[in-house]
Amino acid sequence: MFKDLDPILHSQLRLAVMSLLIAVKEAEFTFLKEKTGATAGNLSVQVQKLKEAGYIEVQKQFKDNYPQTLCRVTQTGIDAFEKYVRALQGYIGK
Amino acid sequence: MNEQPMNEQESLRLITEMIGKAKKSIHETGVSAMLWGSVIALCGFVTFAEMHWRFYIGFDVWVLTLLALLPQVFISIRERKQRRVLTHTQEAMNAVWLVYGLSIFALVFYFNTVTEPVTRELAGRGIRVFDNDRLRSVPIPSHGSLLLLLYGIPTLVTGIAQRFRPMKLGAVVCYACFVVSCYVTTEWDMFLNGIAGVCNWLIPGLILWQRHRAGIKAAHV
Repeated sequence: MFKDLDPILHSQLRLAVMSLLIAVKEAEFTFLKEKTGATAGNLSVQVQKLKEAGYIEVQKQFKDNYPQTLCRVTQTGIDAFEKYVRALQGYIGK
Repeated sequence: MNEQPMNEQESLRLITEMIGKAKKSIHETGVSAMLWGSVIALCGFVTFAEMHWRFYIGFDVWVLTLLALLPQVFISIRERKQRRVLTHTQEAMNAVWLVYGLSIFALVFYFNTVTEPVTRELAGRGIRVFDNDRLRSVPIPSHGSLLLLLYGIPTLVTGIAQRFRPMKLGAVVCYACFVVSCYVTTEWDMFLNGIAGVCNWLIPGLILWQRHRAGIKAAHV
């Protein structure tokens, strides 16, 4: 029986954001925007969804008088990502 | 990036692509490596010249390592401000270099508080510790050898962790210099310190700087 894929992660932009954040310790919102090629508005909505799911932490602060948004993946996010990849591998292996 | 449904292969491809993008986006500037490579090389070669040709430049050239802390603080703050992403490897490397910096200053403190007074005491009794003929000298380890041994540690760790071959090779040269330094006099230890500064940090730093500049140019094309 196939496992259900996590609906939070099974979305292109959210999965792209999680994949970027899994590979680093923390990243600025502008970095995520550049690497995913998403619009600021769309990315902001998806980041908020990941945050509400507890998969990432979002820290807002000021850097040189400009607002800075730092994102980092949480342990819940890492667990969910690992589960998602295992489920994908399960599908492919079948 | 659209929101069309993905199949399993597309999901895995996206994960792989994004992880690859994250890893490729990390570029060290090499400025710190160039700074310390230049300073250590200068200090080593000047000390060697002073000992070999019997002259004194009027101050201890190794004071430059303390002065170099000022630009290093400036460089670190500037790079921290410009950085948009921090990797786990970068964080670990920062810790390694911090511990290395503390260890170097602890070792220099040890030289100044333990080995220097002993050397002076022995000299007072007519025993030359650091003599041109080491076979007749008391076998206290040379400062230069211990410094060389320490230089190689963070460089090799960085080279392996970052998969940066020039630093791995630099560290190998550094360990070779350490072995050679065990069989030569103190003045040549200082020359080997200069070589280590060039191979360990200056050359890798220049390569990193070139790559960084090339990365900036490519991003603006």
